[in-house]
Amino acid sequence: MAERLYRMARAESLRAVHLDTFVALYHRTSGITHLITAPAPEILATLGEAGMTLAALTQRLAHDYDLGDLDDAALAARLEELVAAGLVSDA
Amino acid sequence: MSDETQDTPPEGTTRRRALMLGAVGASAIVSIRPALASTTASIVTCEIPVPDQGRAGSYIAADGSVVPAGTQGAFAPAGRPFKGQDVKAALNGGQLPGTSYQQSQAYTNYIRRLQSGTSGFTCFASLQMPRG
Repeated sequence: MAERLYRMARAESLRAVHLDTFVALYHRTSGITHLITAPAPEILATLGEAGMTLAALTQRLAHDYDLGDLDDAALAARLEELVAAGLVSDA
Repeated sequence: MSDETQDTPPEGTTRRRALMLGAVGASAIVSIRPALASTTASIVTCEIPVPDQGRAGSYIAADGSVVPAGTQGAFAPAGRPFKGQDVKAALNGGQLPGTSYQQSQAYTNYIRRLQSGTSGFTCFASLQMPRG
């Protein structure tokens, strides 16, 4: 797999409001509000702006959380969703 | 009744929080898009003045900031607003029509800095629409 580096959108472009099980995330760049739920907020927080590869992200999440259903394909799908939403860049 | 696992880590595990990644086909995001920006037609036809009418006549510096007319090294305002389609191409590495390379860069930087409430912002926002 190519070593794509995933990065959270610039923090200053995001405004987050925590709503119980959801986080409402307003993305200033696109003017779109996203309602995100686990594991998306955790993935964003883990990626940060520095960015990391899918492998590094998997490792970090497994270290920080008790992943009940660790599945590379599922994590890749969650990441792709965040990329499609514009909340993560994959340069 | 006792199926709830969130606050009761099984014996022998650390106190790490449980996190479920979900199925491949599931989704963890619902996006609320501004209605104006969701039409593709608006991307082609909408326009972005550089600078906006409120600052008409001002020059655009290389970094996209709006500076007083005549500022050295800055560019005179664009003669006419740019079409969304042209801006989209410029944001993807192209050049705005009727501009030099550096002028196009300055104008594109200006557009990137557009804020909500500024003329052209809705058009710019439409161009930022994520795929899908």
